Amino acid sequence: MTLTDMGTETGASVAVTSQPEPTIRVDNVSKWFGNVVAVNEVSLEIRPGITGLLGPNGAGKTTLLHMINGLSAPSEGEITVLGEPVRNNPGIYNRLGVMAEHEAVYGFFTGRAFVEFSARLYGLKDVPAMVDKAIKAVNMADAQHRPLGEYSRGMRQRMRLAASMVHDPDVMLLDEPLSGTDPRQRIEFSELLAELAAAGRTIVVSSHILEEVENLAGSILLMISGKLAASGDYRAIRAKLNERPYTVSVDCSEPRRLAAALVGLEGVDSVAVDSEGRVIVLSKHVSILQHAIPRLAQDTGVRLERVEPLDDSLESVFGYLVDA
Amino acid sequence: MISRLINDPILHISLRQLSGPKRLAIVLLLSIIPVVVTSIIVAVNGEVDHEFASGMIGTMFAAAIMPVVTMTLATAAFGNELEDKTLSYLVLKPVSRLRLVIPKYIVTVMMTGPLLVVSGVIVALVAFDADARTTVAVAVGIAVGVVTYSSIFMWMGLMTTKALGFALFYVFLWEGLLSSFLSGIRVLSVRSYTVSIMYGIEDKNLAELDQFSIRLATAAVAAGIVTVLFFYLTVRRLRRMDVP
Repeated sequence: MTLTDMGTETGASVAVTSQPEPTIRVDNVSKWFGNVVAVNEVSLEIRPGITGLLGPNGAGKTTLLHMINGLSAPSEGEITVLGEPVRNNPGIYNRLGVMAEHEAVYGFFTGRAFVEFSARLYGLKDVPAMVDKAIKAVNMADAQHRPLGEYSRGMRQRMRLAASMVHDPDVMLLDEPLSGTDPRQRIEFSELLAELAAAGRTIVVSSHILEEVENLAGSILLMISGKLAASGDYRAIRAKLNERPYTVSVDCSEPRRLAAALVGLEGVDSVAVDSEGRVIVLSKHVSILQHAIPRLAQDTGVRLERVEPLDDSLESVFGYLVDA
Repeated sequence: MISRLINDPILHISLRQLSGPKRLAIVLLLSIIPVVVTSIIVAVNGEVDHEFASGMIGTMFAAAIMPVVTMTLATAAFGNELEDKTLSYLVLKPVSRLRLVIPKYIVTVMMTGPLLVVSGVIVALVAFDADARTTVAVAVGIAVGVVTYSSIFMWMGLMTTKALGFALFYVFLWEGLLSSFLSGIRVLSVRSYTVSIMYGIEDKNLAELDQFSIRLATAAVAAGIVTVLFFYLTVRRLRRMDVP
């Protein structure tokens, strides 16, 4: 996948050369709830390895994953996983593991009983051994006999992952799996998923935080407002993101004096003073700006009142990627 | 087959989910009301008038207590899972929808049926001087009512998160009010099936039930059809719905 795919409009499909066959095919899929279009004519193919499904909250990631995993029926279009339709095809779950977004669990179960429950529903022959393996993989052996209701959010996520992979599936769909995990758990999570992907599995990880999938996914699918806005190699997208100009607003005692000092600063693209007397600085090197503004203010005798980024929301970050 | 069912994880989890202390307390308290009422009357009068007893079975028991107890558990069989969003754990497994519905239905019937049958049997034994035929009639009628109501209410639990409200409305309007006054809709009333079966088996002691009855065979067949129909609709709904 390449960055040439980025910025395509609805229905953007991923053109890949010399890659294994796709395990997930989404063909012109839409989903609407009444007048609200949650997913709009999305087509994509996902191959073995880890794919990050990214987008701000409300972009349609969960709706799309629900259609891929069979919880929801598309209003239009077709989806196949491992060459088979998913809806009303329970047999597919022998090869598909799903970790849904919501964190509801059966509170009365211990962690181990929860994974055992899954294993028995998958009809596994050696339930104790498979449960041991899954719990060990998520590093929860020490806490496996505690009730799920007493787990921290991160622990619950790990046990839910164990339950979704206890049957050793070929395809795993994980909706916001890193939610609630601490940095150490994220590293463990990344290592585990990398190991599973290296064995040929297809793993889809959704997230609304770009940095969250940084160490996870080789390729990403970017959704905005129900559309597949971009797809491509994560590193290329990250590089593009690093070139993104930031707009910073500065409230200070003498805006014109600070603006004059900022004009000559390396990495600053433009400086202006708006009608409300704020200094508006555009720069691609926000880290330089972070250090330079206080120093320049001190040097020029200007009192800083407020410094804030104007376009740091997820929507603007993702929007930049689409426009780039 | 039976051992497989006994070890079914869905059966076990349904049992755990429906065994909440509050729910069980409600079910138990409602179930013993007819026994308490009968006991008080016996304590005060020394005996229970047959007419009063059969009226109580046909109205209080068949039109109110039995459906309310059944709905309390049956609407929660899937309703609870929809509400707390745990249904996805079941439907995302290689398990047919029919195999999901069967254990939940069995748990609902097994948790309500014996309680209500025992309650009805005690009332019949006390009120009708331990008459075996009357007792059997009451027991069979209640059993059929529970089986039929469970199927309807389980389906309601999947159709809406406000199933309990809809079920109460249906019970008191359709089963309680309309089926009492409009004889034409008795063929579509579970209460009517229940009392018709009781009356069909024992028409002397339970003569008061005649006013709510249809023919025994019609009641038995209609109860079977309604049970199977709503069971099928539950499976169908589970296949077609978007699971949250």
